[in-house]
Amino acid sequence: MKIMMQLAIIFFICLLGEAIAAVLPFPFPASVISMLLVFGLLLWGPLKVYHIRKQTDFLLDNMAFFFIPPAVSIVENLHYMEGKLLILIFICFISTFTTFAITAWTVKAMIKLDEKRKERKKRHASA
Amino acid sequence: MQALKDLCYTPYFGVVLSIFMYQIGVFVSHKLKNPVANPLLIAVILIIAFLKIFRIPMEAFQTGGDLITLFLAPATAALAVPIYKNLQILKHNLLPILAGTLVGSFCSMAVIFALCKLFGLDETLTASLLSKSVTTPIAMGVTEQLGGIVPISIAAVIFTGIVGSIVAPLMVKLFRVDDPVAQGIGIGTCSHAVGTTRAIAMGELQGAMSGIAIGLAGFFTVLWAFLFAILL
Repeated sequence: MKIMMQLAIIFFICLLGEAIAAVLPFPFPASVISMLLVFGLLLWGPLKVYHIRKQTDFLLDNMAFFFIPPAVSIVENLHYMEGKLLILIFICFISTFTTFAITAWTVKAMIKLDEKRKERKKRHASA
Repeated sequence: MQALKDLCYTPYFGVVLSIFMYQIGVFVSHKLKNPVANPLLIAVILIIAFLKIFRIPMEAFQTGGDLITLFLAPATAALAVPIYKNLQILKHNLLPILAGTLVGSFCSMAVIFALCKLFGLDETLTASLLSKSVTTPIAMGVTEQLGGIVPISIAAVIFTGIVGSIVAPLMVKLFRVDDPVAQGIGIGTCSHAVGTTRAIAMGELQGAMSGIAIGLAGFFTVLWAFLFAILL
């Protein structure tokens, strides 16, 4: 599909996301609502991956580029971090390790649990 | 001189400067092949240096910056596509993946929250750090919601991503994670898109899993943020 139309589809979904975020009684990032909308529309069927593929590939491949302007604003906020830089780095390090360990172990434990359940089902069926 | 200054206030200036510096960043990171040489990090440092040297005000740069930021929400929405494309693997491992990203994103925020309290950081800094394990556009949303400072959040997100992509193979060995699904989900949950580039290098399944985890962990982090908003 033409790139113009693909852009229009994605922007329209983002507009819907903003509208839903505006009527929700609690604060919720509109961009995440748009993500759920895209996923829901793909699952449900009216939206096909090829409708938006060129556009989403462009957005995903260049994702980091779009953070440049807000990231550059860090120079105006450096005073918040004064004297705390080492603490911040330490927190980032520790939380990365613990998050990886807990996540990976949870996945592993659940896979084992799943396998056991399936095995039990099989045994049940054969017995 | 005044004419030159006026030129900097047109949106073209910020957009052109950003694209140009980003391309330099991409080029350097391709040449060095080192995770520390992150294209975004290089671009941001070059742009800040450029603005400082030529004494160009931040508002001038951000006239063009606003145009670029416009694409952040669409980029977040696009994260749904890799999840949908890997629907078969997702369905096959639905429970482990959902449980891993749900528990993992809570653990990330809980550890950060506890450490921030331990070091006596104020509410604003804590709110800026809480969402730092998820992808930038979602972290920005969560930080705004919690009343943190968005640029600090972005810096923490990028730093975490770089750390994650460097230590990923080490963590896999250290914590004895041999299952490729667990490896990928773990990497994606703790270090989002930057870590995912490393997961892709480890294997196709790890890469796909890590890609799925970016969107899911982001979504769960938004939900957990409601809990941490009360605690803050």
